[in-house]
Amino acid sequence: MTTSPRAATADHADAHLARWLLLPALGVIAAVVGFPLCWMVWESLHLHDLRMPWLGRPFIGLANYRDAMVDPRFRTALTHTVLFVIVSVTLELVGGLVLALAMRQATRGRAALRVLILLPWAIPTAASALVWRFLFDSQAGLVNEVLVTAHLLHAPQVWLVDPVLAWIPIVAADVWKTTPFVALLLLAGLQNIDQSLYDAARIDGARPWRELVEITLPLLKPAIVVALAFRALDAFRVFDLIYVLTGGGPGTATESVSLYTFSALLQKLRFGYASALSVIVFAATFGLGLIYIRVSGGHLLSVER
Amino acid sequence: MAVLVIQVACADQRPPGSLTFAGSAVGREGEILRRQLASFEARHPGTTVEIRAVPDAADQQHQLYVQWLNARAAEPDVLQLDVIATPEFAAAGWILPLDRFQPAATEFFPATIEANRWKGSLYALPWFVDVGMLYWRTDLLDAAPTTFGEISSAVARAQREHGVPFGFVWSGARYEGLVTVFLEYLNGFGGRFTDAAGRVTVDSDAGIRGLTALRDTIYRDRISPPDVLAWQEEQTRFAFQSGRAVIMRNWPYAYPLLADQAASRVAGKFAVALMPHAAGGASVATLGGQQLAINAHSRHPDLAYALIEDLTSPEQMVERARMAGEYPARSALYDGSGLAALGAPPDQIRRIIEHAVPRPVTPVYSELSELLQVYLHRALTRQQDPRAALHEAADAMNAVLARSGLLTP
Repeated sequence: MTTSPRAATADHADAHLARWLLLPALGVIAAVVGFPLCWMVWESLHLHDLRMPWLGRPFIGLANYRDAMVDPRFRTALTHTVLFVIVSVTLELVGGLVLALAMRQATRGRAALRVLILLPWAIPTAASALVWRFLFDSQAGLVNEVLVTAHLLHAPQVWLVDPVLAWIPIVAADVWKTTPFVALLLLAGLQNIDQSLYDAARIDGARPWRELVEITLPLLKPAIVVALAFRALDAFRVFDLIYVLTGGGPGTATESVSLYTFSALLQKLRFGYASALSVIVFAATFGLGLIYIRVSGGHLLSVER
Repeated sequence: MAVLVIQVACADQRPPGSLTFAGSAVGREGEILRRQLASFEARHPGTTVEIRAVPDAADQQHQLYVQWLNARAAEPDVLQLDVIATPEFAAAGWILPLDRFQPAATEFFPATIEANRWKGSLYALPWFVDVGMLYWRTDLLDAAPTTFGEISSAVARAQREHGVPFGFVWSGARYEGLVTVFLEYLNGFGGRFTDAAGRVTVDSDAGIRGLTALRDTIYRDRISPPDVLAWQEEQTRFAFQSGRAVIMRNWPYAYPLLADQAASRVAGKFAVALMPHAAGGASVATLGGQQLAINAHSRHPDLAYALIEDLTSPEQMVERARMAGEYPARSALYDGSGLAALGAPPDQIRRIIEHAVPRPVTPVYSELSELLQVYLHRALTRQQDPRAALHEAADAMNAVLARSGLLTP
């Protein structure tokens, strides 16, 4: 620790300047994140119903939160959302890992392969959701056509109005769209693993399965945690996919939290109540994010350098 | 604030004789609108009407209006409103009562006036009428079914004998259209949406029998495919237009499309009728349609009313019927021969409109409807039985009415 006094002064000045340079960015964040967030919290403490302007906009404390806690539709939507996150993110991680391992083995055309594999991810969700809706259409959909021709179904199935089956196109579309993204994240992680470890394992006579369990997975953990965090937080706010495919139906059998909040805010125009729902969702995702960072031991922040 | 100042400044620069009109302005709708506004301008020299196009989708149109009116914008002066929006905007104080202009309300169909009244005052005039009605195949049936029982028997028989894929197609997706169909079953079985005090009563015996009958068309009689639970008007029309159904419940807009020789397989082979009913009930047609109202903050209310009076005049209504196939709201027009272009016999259309019932005239209708849609759809997709679904729906809707402070205890 032998820093000359001059260098120390320079460091100090640099740090001073850096703080000033950060200000515009912090200002932007405060304006586009902090301000709306505070306003949302403030709104959530009011009865503010644009369809009932004669009620005014009285302060009602935590009443909106109390209502949300006992609102069966909100609780069902939360359950749907959590189940959707668990099922679709698991499938995406497994699928992404398989794809990443396959891509690592590819010797020629690797760049072209990556572009091709990323295509579903590049298509806007609303557009791909429409395609999936056509595929699962009861009258002219390809899925029914194939299943009936193959005698797996004796009559066409009306997928989108069955409370359970309606989830199949939703999860399928999400997995199809985001598995490539997970695969690319994992592939980056795979390429960071030192090849000599595999060479050594092979000399010791390790089988591919043991290589995967003993070397690949442990060393891939940081990348897996990052992929998991990205996907889980993203899947938690699923909206456009379900909006286009089922609109949350039949009944409310596929309604997610975002969809219910949307209906409270933009269809019923219940600004106060919808703000309370949004605050709850925000708190949940924020908490989830904190847990991830804790569990990953900071990997989440360091890998993304 | 700056925006407001600019808006006010601009508004002041406009000549006193200029109005803005907010309404659907795409395609044929836009063509006829421009034509009708031009003829108003010709009759009122020095006056100009500028069109402010709004989305056709009722939901989006409503959202936009709420933004404008809630911000107390002085424009647009005249608004095209869906029939269910009038009480909401009236209660909010966003549109003007028309009583001081002494409109000739008795010349319009009573239901269309009733739907536009709030607390005794008239807030909008009906521009054109929409009614739910039954389309039936004249080559497959001898007569239109008049009871729900006949739908299950005669339609099922025709479907079997003629090898038609579907018997009865209707719009059963979870949206406003489903409520309009249910309303016809509810009333057809003798039920009412609300009682005299304004409390929701869809869970009456009649309501439960109505919803059960609607559900039976799918699972018991098998005359309606489960697909209808995902269908809105257009999918329903496609099925009927391609000759795959015996009867269909839809709106008047379908008529000219079905009668088009080039695109329709049922041209010349269909007719319309009133929806059926059951013993103890009466046939009704859910009332839809567009109204004209004046922005409460308009700077030219008198001129705005002159425009509304002009657009709802007999001549303009007949022209609109001729060009766009939209049903005039004045009953006297159905006497003459002016409405031949509508296709269906005018006296028959008038009979259907005379059976029209408005959806509940309450400022919170949209919120009630959103709740009802969910429960109806749950019952129709067999997630709940009709009785439980309607009980929960009525409770949820009455809770909204209680919260709104509109229900007199």
